[in-house]
Order: sequence, then structure tokens, then C-alpha cells
Amino acid sequence: MKIVNVDNKNFEQEVLQSTVPVLMDVWAPWCGPCRMLGPLVDQVAEENDNFKVVKVNADEAGDLAQKLNVVSIPALICFKSGAETKRSIGLISKAEILKLVEA
Amino acid sequence: MEKRYDIAIIGSGPAGLSTAINAKVRKKEIILFGSEDISSKIAKAHGINNYLGMYGKSGEEMASAFRHHIDEMEIRITPEKVTNIMPVDDYYAILTKNGMYYEAASVILASGISFGKAIPGEKEFLGKGVSYCATCDAMFYRGKVATVIGYNKSEEEEADFLTQVAEKVYYIPMYTDEVNVNEKVEVIQDKVLEIRGDQKVTELVLRNHVLTTDGVFILRESVAADSLIPGLEIEDNHVKVDRLMKTNLNGCFAAGDIVGKPYQYSKAAGEGNIAALSAVSYLDARRRAVV
Repeated sequence: MKIVNVDNKNFEQEVLQSTVPVLMDVWAPWCGPCRMLGPLVDQVAEENDNFKVVKVNADEAGDLAQKLNVVSIPALICFKSGAETKRSIGLISKAEILKLVEA
Repeated sequence: MEKRYDIAIIGSGPAGLSTAINAKVRKKEIILFGSEDISSKIAKAHGINNYLGMYGKSGEEMASAFRHHIDEMEIRITPEKVTNIMPVDDYYAILTKNGMYYEAASVILASGISFGKAIPGEKEFLGKGVSYCATCDAMFYRGKVATVIGYNKSEEEEADFLTQVAEKVYYIPMYTDEVNVNEKVEVIQDKVLEIRGDQKVTELVLRNHVLTTDGVFILRESVAADSLIPGLEIEDNHVKVDRLMKTNLNGCFAAGDIVGKPYQYSKAAGEGNIAALSAVSYLDARRRAVV
């Protein structure tokens, strides 16, 4: 599935109102572990159609990161029916990403 | 494309160095991460009398004998701290503290044991104010109070870096060397007891102070093995390996103190030898499968 970049403006529409579960990757360009996690999240997005993957650049969308209480990145956050269901901090493997979103 | 090493070795103690010489003998392209001065723990050791051929040597003499050995074999140490290792398809991606990126077909973990125990509240507040990466998370502390617990002098620059964004930075050194930080950092010499908060970190409790803080950066010398590589199996605080020093991850091996007791040089060197040979067979088998 195509990855959507999300900020405060489209958060409601793309995440909260999504009809499918959402996996959100909060990252920033200067964060080394984020740059390692990013391509894995891309792969997961490419190989799965049953959930949607969105990315939040904490540098550009700092207000959204703050709203979500993100104070450590990389952060992966799962949403279902407009509510947060799971959150993981730091670098995790592809298998662990899938487990997070499927739980 | 990045250069792809055959074997990346993490750690320059007896296990790591033994791994390196054995891999080198087998003509593998290696990269050895560690500290220039070999292992600070070796140099600090008093007499070592149970290492074959090294009767009556001091820790310092032992370290210089090790140094001589790797120099003669033209093995160089890359003095960078590895912060993350990621299994990717058929190789490992390796990231260091200063943002350098490396690739290797196999990895041998020989970084010893981290004696730093978790601080009460550390796990509970991870991602809720507890952070291990100042570069990653400094921006979230704009106008806020950040506290750095530094286990090594090199972490002082992280405290300096945080003063660029945070309103207030406290620095708690966990070592005895003199602290040199900029004037915006308040240095507090005290014993760390507990991280407290409710939804997020609110305070750090020390023996003689309670600091009101929005975040606590815990910067240790070595990263716990299971947070170094996601998915690595740990048993009783050590990396789980079999007799061939294989971990549960394909192409990832471990040797020395990191896999368990006894914490002895001979055992570490022996395991480094096995791990190197196991990595060599792994690489050769893979090459045969491809051809």
C-alpha cells in the first residue's frame, strides 16, 4: 500500500478516520536508528494491503509529534478505529513490526 | 553501494581480538569495532596468571601483548561505538554513535558484559521521557528540562548539545574524571536512585537531590545486547548461543563475557576462535549455495 506523509492537517482524515488499521512511523532526518527502521517500514507497507502505513517527519510536523506525546524516536504507533492501540520505541526488526501491527 | 565486509566484530577484548586474528587467518574481510586502547578493563586488571604462556603478566603487559599481536597481523581497530545492528535480508546493517553506517555479511558480538544495571523506572518510562539517544530526541526538549546521566566522559558533548535546545540541562557523571561541559550545564555529583513520573517522567530522584525534569538521557558505554540487535535471544542476561557460538539469528555469533560466565580471558579467547570459524563456515556455505 502507498505510504502517506501525515502532519497536523491531514492527521484526522488519514489516521483517525481511516477505515483500516494504521501503522505510523515517527522519524526525523538526523536520527540514525530512524534511517535504519525507515526502509523496513517501507518494505512492510509494500508487502501488506490490510493496513495503511503513514509517516510523520517530527522535524516538519513537530506539533503533531507533540500532540501524540512522542518524546523518543523512532516511534511506531498503531491506530485502530481512531484510537491508539500500540506503541513501540526504538529500532525493531521487520518481524516485530508485523507483530506490532497484527496484534 | 556500501562496502560489504565478511565479518563485523563488535568488541576489542580477548574474545573480539581472538575472533579477529582467526578470521584474518582465514582471509576474511573484517571490520573490528572497539577502543584504540584495546579494552580498558584488561589494562586495569592486576596480575593474570591463568592465561597460557603469559605467566606473571600485569593487565597492562597483557594489553600490549595483544596489541603487538594484532599490529603484526595488520588488524586495525575502528574506534567507533556501535549503537544499532539490524538484520536485513542477507546481511547486517551497522550504525555507530557518530552516524556512520556499515554493512557486513555476518556479525560477531564480543562486547563483553555491561555492568550497568537498569535504573528503577528506566524501562517503565522508555519513550515517555527516558531516552538513549540525545541526537535523536533533543528536539523534543525545546524549552524543557533535560537531565543527562553520563557513564563515560565522551557523553559530556551530548549534554553540551542539549543546551542548544533545552531550557535547562543537568549532567550527572557516573565516573570520577573531571567534567568539562559548557557553562549552561549544571553538573550534579550524586547517586542516581530512581526515575519517577506518571504518564511521563517528572523527576529524577538522587540521594541528596530530587530534580524536576522532563526527560532523562541515559548514556551508557555499551548498549545491552538485546537492544543492540532486535530479535536477539537472551537467556539469564546473556546472549544465548550453542556450542558453535551461534545465536538465534542466522549469521550472528557471540563470544566472551557477553555469552556468560566464567568471565575469563582464556575462555573468551577460545570462544572467539570458535565464533570466527563458525562465521567462516557460514560464509563459505552461503557462497557455495549462491554459485
